[in-house]
Amino acid sequence: MKTYVVQRLVIALLTLLGMSVVIFTLLRLAPGDIVDILFSTAGYVSPSEKQAIMKELGIDRPYWVQYLDWLHQIVTGDLGKSYRYDQPAWEIIRPLVPVTLELAALSILFAVVIGVPTGVVSAVRQDTALDYLLRVFSLAGLAMPSFWLGMVIILGLVTWFAWIPPLTYVPVGENFKLHAVQFLLPALAVGYRSSALIMRITRSSLLEVMREDYIRTAWAKGQRGRIVIWRHALKNAMLPVVTVIGIEFAFLIGGLVVTETVFNLPGVARFLVQAILWRDYPVVQNLVMFIAIVVILSNLAVDMLYGVLDPRVRYGR
Amino acid sequence: MSRSRFLLCLALVSAVVTVALIAPVSSQTTPAPKSGGVLNMMLREDLSQGFSIHETSTISTVWPAMPCLNNLVLFDPLKKTESVDTVIGELAEKWSWQDNYRNLVFFLRKNVKWHDGQPFTSKDVKFTFDMLREAPDAPAKLRINPRKDWYANIEAVETPDAFTAVFRLKKPQPSLLLMLASGYTPVYAAHVPPANYRTTCVGTGPFKVKEWRKGEFVEYVKNPDYFVKGRPYLDGLKYFVIVERGTRQAALQAGKLDVSFPGETTKTAAEQLKKAVPQLVITPYSQNVSDNIIMNVKKPPFDNLKVRLAVSHAIDRRALIAAVHQGGAVVGAALPPKPWGFWGVAEKDLAGLPGYGAKPADEKALARKLMAEAGFAVEKPLKVEIVTRAIPVYVDMASFVINELKQIGIDTTLKQIETAQWHAMATRGDYQIGANLTGIGPDDPDANYYENYACGSPRNYSQYCNEEIMKMFDAQSQELDPKKRLALNVAIQRKLEADAARPILDWKIDYFTVWPHVKNMIPHQSIYNFGRMQEVWTDK
Repeated sequence: MKTYVVQRLVIALLTLLGMSVVIFTLLRLAPGDIVDILFSTAGYVSPSEKQAIMKELGIDRPYWVQYLDWLHQIVTGDLGKSYRYDQPAWEIIRPLVPVTLELAALSILFAVVIGVPTGVVSAVRQDTALDYLLRVFSLAGLAMPSFWLGMVIILGLVTWFAWIPPLTYVPVGENFKLHAVQFLLPALAVGYRSSALIMRITRSSLLEVMREDYIRTAWAKGQRGRIVIWRHALKNAMLPVVTVIGIEFAFLIGGLVVTETVFNLPGVARFLVQAILWRDYPVVQNLVMFIAIVVILSNLAVDMLYGVLDPRVRYGR
Repeated sequence: MSRSRFLLCLALVSAVVTVALIAPVSSQTTPAPKSGGVLNMMLREDLSQGFSIHETSTISTVWPAMPCLNNLVLFDPLKKTESVDTVIGELAEKWSWQDNYRNLVFFLRKNVKWHDGQPFTSKDVKFTFDMLREAPDAPAKLRINPRKDWYANIEAVETPDAFTAVFRLKKPQPSLLLMLASGYTPVYAAHVPPANYRTTCVGTGPFKVKEWRKGEFVEYVKNPDYFVKGRPYLDGLKYFVIVERGTRQAALQAGKLDVSFPGETTKTAAEQLKKAVPQLVITPYSQNVSDNIIMNVKKPPFDNLKVRLAVSHAIDRRALIAAVHQGGAVVGAALPPKPWGFWGVAEKDLAGLPGYGAKPADEKALARKLMAEAGFAVEKPLKVEIVTRAIPVYVDMASFVINELKQIGIDTTLKQIETAQWHAMATRGDYQIGANLTGIGPDDPDANYYENYACGSPRNYSQYCNEEIMKMFDAQSQELDPKKRLALNVAIQRKLEADAARPILDWKIDYFTVWPHVKNMIPHQSIYNFGRMQEVWTDK
């Protein structure tokens, strides 16, 4: 097990190194840079002034020097300075991380709480009216983009209650009730879509498992339905579900752009888009690396969970 | 009914009607201002250069940074119109033109303190304006200096004592005062490096920065040491960064925000808001932003005046206003017309200029004739790429223009340019024709002409250069008689349109929206000049 984890971490490091090259290259391939944007806000361009600012920011240096400089900064724990805000990138990124992690975790929680039971019910009551109803419910979740649902929620609230959630981040210690409201609504909008996916995977996986011989044996032994389904069938059907949950969580870390924007939550994804528009290389590079790390770690966690759910899975041999 | 009874009834009804008419007016009488309260406002993006107004041209910086700073003079926040007559002193207690408008002397207020406690003196004025005009001995330099041309006529800034500053001009320029009264022209502290304004704000203004949480909000508190006694009325200001337009509107509708963002509310949006919340107060005013066509006069085929004129004739301005802005704009030449501006050409005087004919079909026929003379026809179209900025307000207008041009034998394909590339591309002249928006700070000809039409100006995207026009620019700038200056300006604008230097399509109207408890928030002729918030109070 230990060997397996070490192996995976080494591979993760290599993946991150590869990612760093891709991120760095793609950013430089995008047309324009921070200096163009700065001049854009001023409405003119002066080549000599542009050169001076590029020198000041260090983006006039060869690309490989800039790349190695960035790697050195990561290793030494200094993430550089935001071009836009002229502040250490870490100071800007740090407050964004908990917002996105909390929103993603809550969304996944909603998704699992809604998706798994409905998937089980739908599988157990296959081809009944209830099954059809739940499938329509899940299809609707897949068909409705979460940003659209978010906007509908906002418009509904303002139309019927003349109220919308807070416009700035409310820390949990400051006002728990407002904090909860601020996160529950977007989490519901995002979680509904993810729950639809989880529900469908749970249903199909459970249907497959329920046709296995050992389930038939359990029924033949006269075990109660609840035991057969929840203890024997669902546990074995959970492998693909866990995989999907892991992928969804990783996706949500970077994929909450529109939800964070609609609900005005100061998270990683919304800020990342602004940073990309501003070509704020230090912030973009480090935020994308953060997302990459979360994706890698969540995949590792899912792989570890396989061993817990299925004793046949063994690591490190 | 007897005659006397009828007359009595009539008198009674008249009295009731009169009372009914008068009552709302008297109830609307502005009550005495109250102190206290916090005003919540919106931003559509974070401050692009922090509080460094001098390094940017965007309202996203000017609007939230103005409360921290002061000018020497400012357009009176309580008056809609911006002119020499509505300029009031801020850091300058009074001022005086001397030597036939060649010297502008400012007598500064005493006992003014910067937010860090340092005293304000004439040294700060000299520091700011030497930096802005890039004087050879300037003690500091801005990283980006977009309005250097505004101050090109200043020969020297002299400070005979700590509370007097003299602007010595190369030639008379009465309109300099108007540029100094713009929100674009605050005074910086000499003891603070200009780069610091990108992250924080040391001003003399009515409000002090409490916190700027990046990407979230900017919060101000009242400056207790403000030099105008009893001001500001408000205890604080909070500007929320809300990127999503729908969320901004919902927040305003829900009452979480008190005020809309300048230049943000279209006619359609205003109508929707009014329908949802009838008590909202909506004031139409000029954004001082025009839709216009830029054509590179240095490159074929637009180096040919006939082709440029054909383009101008082809575009039906009134149809554009109806289709793209749903009526939320007005026709005009290089400057906005009355009542939206002061110097523009009135609609009746536009007749005869390209694109302003009474019948659009006749205009198009004329355009086709000009194209034929240039060697093109609908059957043998001129194929060009029209560039525009990849933002909906640009693209909508460009799409309309493409359809108009197709009807006269100009087959255009739309190329959307990302914001990062737009100004660089336009300044370099790497295009043939473009659909553009231009905003002007104060409603003054100098601020517009020298920036957008003068030979060699980096914002003269068409690269149009006409020595005769340049002389006219200088002549109007030095003209002391307002009537004569206005006449000169009408002639200049007619000439610019006749040369198709940068055909103006319309001037946009903003529908500034506030909740009724917000008082003394009066939109001006330009979105850039009324953000000080010193006089604003809330009756909540």
